[in-house]
Amino acid sequence: MEACPACGAALHTPLACAACGALLDAPAELSPWKLLGLESGWQVEPAELQKRLVRCSRLMHPDFFAAAPQAARELAGRNSARLNEAYALLLDPARRAEWILTHAGGPSAQAERSMPQAFLMQVLEWNETLEASRGEPAGRRQQTLDELHGELEPQRAALLSRLANLLTPLPGPGSPQLLAARKELNALAYLDRALAQVQDLRLAH
Amino acid sequence: MGYIELNVLNSGPTPLALGIDLGTTNSLAAIWRDGRPQVLKVDGRSALVPSVIYFPREGQPIVGREAREQAIADPEHVLFSVKRFMGRGLGDVRQELERLPYRASATERGLIQLEARGRRYSPEELSALILMKVHDVACQSLAGQDTRKCVITVPAYFDDTQRQATRDAARIAGLEVLRIINEPTAASLAYGLDQRNKGNVVVYDLGGGTFDVTVLSIEDGVFQVRSTAGDTHLGGDDFDQRLADLARSAIAAQHGGKVLEDPGFQQAVRLAAEQCKIALSSDPEAELHLSIPELRISWRQRVTREEFEQLCADLLERTFAACRQALSDSGLKPEQIDEVVLVGGSTRMPGVRARVERFFGRKPHTELNPDEVVALGAAVQAHILMGGRRDMLLLDVTPLSLGIETMGGAISKLIDRNSTIPCEATEGFTTYADNQTGIDFHIVQGERELAKDCRSLGRFQLKGIPPMPAGLARVAVKFHIDADGVLTVSAKELGTGVHAHIEIQPMHGLSDAEVETMLKDGFQNAREDFEARRAADLVTEIGTMIRATEKNMNAARAGLDRESVRDLEDALAAARAALQSRSPGELQSARDLFERATLPLAALLMNNVAQKALMGKSLGEV
Repeated sequence: MEACPACGAALHTPLACAACGALLDAPAELSPWKLLGLESGWQVEPAELQKRLVRCSRLMHPDFFAAAPQAARELAGRNSARLNEAYALLLDPARRAEWILTHAGGPSAQAERSMPQAFLMQVLEWNETLEASRGEPAGRRQQTLDELHGELEPQRAALLSRLANLLTPLPGPGSPQLLAARKELNALAYLDRALAQVQDLRLAH
Repeated sequence: MGYIELNVLNSGPTPLALGIDLGTTNSLAAIWRDGRPQVLKVDGRSALVPSVIYFPREGQPIVGREAREQAIADPEHVLFSVKRFMGRGLGDVRQELERLPYRASATERGLIQLEARGRRYSPEELSALILMKVHDVACQSLAGQDTRKCVITVPAYFDDTQRQATRDAARIAGLEVLRIINEPTAASLAYGLDQRNKGNVVVYDLGGGTFDVTVLSIEDGVFQVRSTAGDTHLGGDDFDQRLADLARSAIAAQHGGKVLEDPGFQQAVRLAAEQCKIALSSDPEAELHLSIPELRISWRQRVTREEFEQLCADLLERTFAACRQALSDSGLKPEQIDEVVLVGGSTRMPGVRARVERFFGRKPHTELNPDEVVALGAAVQAHILMGGRRDMLLLDVTPLSLGIETMGGAISKLIDRNSTIPCEATEGFTTYADNQTGIDFHIVQGERELAKDCRSLGRFQLKGIPPMPAGLARVAVKFHIDADGVLTVSAKELGTGVHAHIEIQPMHGLSDAEVETMLKDGFQNAREDFEARRAADLVTEIGTMIRATEKNMNAARAGLDRESVRDLEDALAAARAALQSRSPGELQSARDLFERATLPLAALLMNNVAQKALMGKSLGEV
């Protein structure tokens, strides 16, 4: 654990010191885990993440620096933004996986566009259902969308657990796990988009 | 690693800061006092300032109740619902303008301006007038204690431009904005919902011109907004319009369509509709009644609450579409909501209350006055910001996704809606031509797929990129949304390894220079105000002195030397002339001259035994 440059106390986040209240201008390249004071790794407990967000926010939220000099106000804003960004990234499995893949030198989404073969067949089917639902009468459409949602959700859960296996422990550079993870991630991107579309259509009713 | 040390030790009482609800219909200030937020009062009544501005033929604009009273007498010079125009272009509000008796125009950059007495005002300037009045009334209520620090509330669904406009309005009014906060979030603070240990809360806020719904989770003093949705052009005004439309079509059928264009008619029909709506909140049936003798209109119709709710069914439905969206974004189901809070004057409508209760399956909180709750919450936030308490933490979100227009008019998302603020994103740019020194990009806010369907925050220009072959420049542009929900854009060039200074020119809203000019005008006006008040006081004083002197001229001629009498006569003449001129300088010297000239007379009168009762009184009081 790093020490606070102002008072020497151990830091729980590189962005601010809980002991002396100093705001710290941390290097740009720190990982989101580090910013929130968490161990790096695929597994992130949402409840723990939330606890960290709140604990760190209490040290650096701009509301607590409203009467401070401008430099401190700005740093509080910048650090809070970094903290919130790290939180949002870790909370979203797709973004978390993307970060891991990119930083381990894995293939980018542009370089590797394929999905697992079995998944691709299902995608075609789902797309058809989604398209057809647009022409259905409201009541029927709602049912179709509910069913589709009921199908997609467990798919997503299964995919996330495959992704967890591939990314635990974190793969090193050049690991074959990275390519497999990218394919799963492509599938996850599709699923998340499809789920968002289903939700939009349900709301539009 | 650099760091900033802070003096966290606080000494002395927390300085004052106002919480201001700058509303479409009414504005109000509150303050933290005696351990709780309190609405400011004048003469025992809440210091509510109607957000209405009247431009008299002469003198300074009048804001508040007096302005509202002019709405029918002098409709062309009364402006209201200014908030609806904040941060908007003429094209955005064309539909509303058809129904409002305003003359509007656009600046060269498409910003809206409203006209009054041949002068054009930006919505920022008009809001500044309202804020000045609110501040004035607050100072009165605080017995002369002055504070220019404040927290101002905005609808949660306000976009960047609307927030910036609000911040600019406060600057023009000479106020220091500590924070812009969202109205529903403020309301949740006011309800002290942190008293409960843990829970999910929905705030349903239907105001005069805007609708917001916010879902938040509260735990151990942390207010975390999960999602927000709404409509910045849906509020009580629209419900009024439905009744007004009813009156309009009936009256047009009787009197011909020409009457609809009369400004007096427009204001009268609006007020009649509002009155009828308010009556329907307490009675099952009310009369929509319009009487304008000048136009020979006398029209009335009974409206039942049921009929009214029918007329507005689609408006209400729009609010629930937003509620469904907010719930969906929050990941919560209606049954997971522990509390529902109603905010905004329009939630007084029984139909609204009933529908909200049915939708969320629980009785909503209505304990606090819906007109006051937002100002109260702003005062709580002001107290937090002034260092009054550190146990509470407010984590709010940005209501709209932020994106950049890509080739073909699509959008690449930079920041998702409902991201906790402050937040930021960085986007890389490069040049496509050799020695290109500038890059243009277009920033939008909204959820639609195409840039043209979103709200444009303007085109930005990156300038000052060092000349180099195409594609070599690497410019990192950082988009930062601060705790006010306002965007700032900054850039640096990475390709050369030098952090070149890159200029960014936003092309929307008021420029800093424009705000400065308005600021100066504002002070100019404030000085004119002061001088006008001083002149008015002097006129009264001189008037009293003239009357008292004239009454005693016979006594003066009898008891004073000729010189003193002539002095008095000269002073009287000068005072009368000064009253004609009304110039503060002339009035002041006439008053001073008068005072000197009346000294012998005053002495004479006081020496007179019969006038003993006058002892210790000045001549003016005789």
